[in-house]
Amino acid sequence: MTTTALPAARAAGRAAALPWYVAAALVAATSAKVGVIWDISWHRSIGRDTFWTPAHMAIYLGGVLAGLACGSLVLKTTFAGTPEDRGASVRFWGFRGPLGVWMSIWGAFAMITSAPFDNWWHNAYGLDVKVLSPPHVLLALGIWAIQLGALFLVLSLQNRDPAEEPPRLYGLLAAYMIAILLQNVATIGIEQVGFANLAHNAVYYKVAAGGVPFLLVAAGRGIRLRWPTTTAAACYMAFSLVLIWILQLAPATPKLAPVFNPVTHLIPPPFPLLLVIPAVAIDLVMRRMGRNRDWRLSVLLGVAFLATFFVTQWFFTEFLLGPHARNYFFGVDQWDYSSRLGPWRYRFWRADTNPVTPTALAIAAILAVASARIGLWWGNWMARLRR
Amino acid sequence: MTGRGVRLAVVGAISLVASAHVGSPDTYFEGTAGPYPVRVIVRSPGVVPGLAQITVRLLAPQEVRRVLVLPVYWDPRTAAPPPPDVAERVPGDSTLYSAALWLMTGGSYGVQVTVEGAVGSGTALVPVMAVATRRLALDKPLGAALLALTAFLFIGAVTLVGAAVKESGLEPGVPPDRRRTLRSHVAMGVATVVLALALLGGRRWWNGVDAAYRTGLFQPLHATATLRTNGGARVLRLAIDDTSWTNPKRQWTPLIPDHGHLVHLFLVRDSTLAGFAHLHPLPLDSITFESNLPPLESGRYRLYADIVHESGFAQTLVSMVDISSAGGSWRPSDADDAWTAENGQRATGNVVTLQDGSTMTWERGDAPIRVDHDAPLQFVVADPKGQPVTLEPYMGMAGHLMLARTDGAVFVHLHPAGTVSLAAAETFALRQPGDTVRGALGKRLTAMEKGSGEQGAGPGGASGMPGAHGGEPLPAPRSLSFPYAFPQPGPYRLWVQVKRSGRILTGVFDVEVRPAS
Repeated sequence: MTTTALPAARAAGRAAALPWYVAAALVAATSAKVGVIWDISWHRSIGRDTFWTPAHMAIYLGGVLAGLACGSLVLKTTFAGTPEDRGASVRFWGFRGPLGVWMSIWGAFAMITSAPFDNWWHNAYGLDVKVLSPPHVLLALGIWAIQLGALFLVLSLQNRDPAEEPPRLYGLLAAYMIAILLQNVATIGIEQVGFANLAHNAVYYKVAAGGVPFLLVAAGRGIRLRWPTTTAAACYMAFSLVLIWILQLAPATPKLAPVFNPVTHLIPPPFPLLLVIPAVAIDLVMRRMGRNRDWRLSVLLGVAFLATFFVTQWFFTEFLLGPHARNYFFGVDQWDYSSRLGPWRYRFWRADTNPVTPTALAIAAILAVASARIGLWWGNWMARLRR
Repeated sequence: MTGRGVRLAVVGAISLVASAHVGSPDTYFEGTAGPYPVRVIVRSPGVVPGLAQITVRLLAPQEVRRVLVLPVYWDPRTAAPPPPDVAERVPGDSTLYSAALWLMTGGSYGVQVTVEGAVGSGTALVPVMAVATRRLALDKPLGAALLALTAFLFIGAVTLVGAAVKESGLEPGVPPDRRRTLRSHVAMGVATVVLALALLGGRRWWNGVDAAYRTGLFQPLHATATLRTNGGARVLRLAIDDTSWTNPKRQWTPLIPDHGHLVHLFLVRDSTLAGFAHLHPLPLDSITFESNLPPLESGRYRLYADIVHESGFAQTLVSMVDISSAGGSWRPSDADDAWTAENGQRATGNVVTLQDGSTMTWERGDAPIRVDHDAPLQFVVADPKGQPVTLEPYMGMAGHLMLARTDGAVFVHLHPAGTVSLAAAETFALRQPGDTVRGALGKRLTAMEKGSGEQGAGPGGASGMPGAHGGEPLPAPRSLSFPYAFPQPGPYRLWVQVKRSGRILTGVFDVEVRPAS
């Protein structure tokens, strides 16, 4: 990285300007992600919901805020923008605005479209018969788009900065947005990599190897921090922990049959993956290898990720299933209201039917390498983003 | 995906069937919750999982603190209900309470309606069937809006890809060169293909969900009716020949008797409705039921067979039969069998003369009867001198009302307790947590039926239904009232059956039901 040789104090000494629309986009992306995690917790704890639950409001607030902020910026840039503003924008149907703004606007429209579609879907085919439905996919695409929009806005600020060492704030915010995207992966993969009980089966490592490295590696290539991947992974873990600690405090009563587990508070999300350790490995490998050898680098990154992730999760999840983790800090051993509690809570699931074999690990390694290569491509593009 | 929506909008029609009854999916109940007389209406969502709307009307001016509602699934292994919901008082109506019922699993529910007030609390049990009965069309405005937004998102996404390739990597103020412009066009072309494939995939996905949903729409068990002659007598055989019932590993729970009969079979003359019979076929086995056929005229008849499962699930089987041979002497195979060839009273108004010379008057008033409005189904039976008579209970009820729309789209069997099955209510009232073995509850219910004998109609019983078994036999009232609202407009025929002096009497009425507004 270009920043590694520079003293941190020099970077910290410069004031960073954060435009209002970037701040709004970051808040919107955060609101949508908090809403999604809150909503999952709501369904696991209370079961019943309406369109007007606070979790849903947080999700749609994200869409509305992103849409309004970015829409107004487009109007301002197009009709009253300075030459600098217009020069730092891309053309879209005759209007002008940064690429991240257009992503966010697209995401806002996708989210708005999904609302009546989802309502009709419920009336037509039943209330959330399956979580994975066309309107939910459209909503997820919208949320991804506003989050990517916020990331692109921050990256364009970072990359346009004339200094060799841009303000650290931009890098931190970009790492934070990568963390939000990592949260998306954790949400989508909750049934494969969410619970500690899954960590002794092969699918766990295959899914993690395919889904995680491309984001970590992209952060490593596109974000100008001394430890970009580690920072992103730490933000991801901190985000999870804060929500785990807050959600447990909210009282909740199940309102949907069958109630086999009478929970009394919101069930928090699972303890996050310990991604900081693989992220440190990725940062070290990327720093040592430099650029211009991306194919070889992706092999090293994929293997390094899988090795550190496997060792970390294999043993750490044993701790998470043990008695010392059953407390407020770790938030584990808290189950849905519809769960019939039993010894399965403290066992590794599918460890016998889907064991972790050398073949399974080899497949996971291939997936990790491919994921890392995609991450390098994307990271290179992110490093070039100017508008 | 919106293309699919437009096609749905063109297809348009909402198909309606019902679980118990035909074309009438809502539940009407009138009874008591302890000391409080109530009328309960449950509007079916037509989809599972879905939200049913329940209204509870207090029929007596009593002080009430709150009304609670709780749907409990029939199977004690999976019921585990949450706390009940407090029904909200409907603004502007001090006796009406409303709530939503979350029916998450297909099958039968016992909805517990609890009224708490100054004179204590009481609970009524209202059986409700949760089944998917209709396929919702995507209306044109919503379909058009979704189509427009999809087009906007599609073109917007392609434009985004082009902008990302063309300009996003350029230093501010630098115009894109020809190479970048060309690359952006290529990228937009690729994006168009990828997004079009994604949309096609989405459409296919939607089609798959829709097809699976249509396959899962509730259809009553298939039944076939045939006629045979036995020594000059015509015998009607009803066979439940649905493979999901004939399969030895069937998922259905066994049948239980309702009013002492496993099957209540109604024959209605097709098209003219000029012929009606209410029979109770006897079981030869769990599939086949037979009944001696009354001397109905030759012609095509619709068959509606009401059955109740041990789970509390009530359904109406539908079939057709052609009666061609002439009817001879008729010896009813069950004492509760009855028939009539009366052809309605369009010309003579609301008073009909019954077979014993008494009269039945439909006190319907002058107001037109409209869809989804409380129908004034009150009837009074008077002797030839015009004095109201006291009715005898007929199969545990003061009266039975069957109504059919002329085209057969609606058929309903009503009691003074409403559309609900008495046997279904009993299954919920008497089910114990240990009733997880099929047939255990049914045996208890059958034994109770045999032990109770014929009962009068009146308040009482475990479920809070008028005339419920387990209550003290009471003389039936002189007037009959049936809680109901017609689900569809059109011409209907009503058959009101009562019992007097040991004789089953049937009054026949016609009515034109108007649209809701």
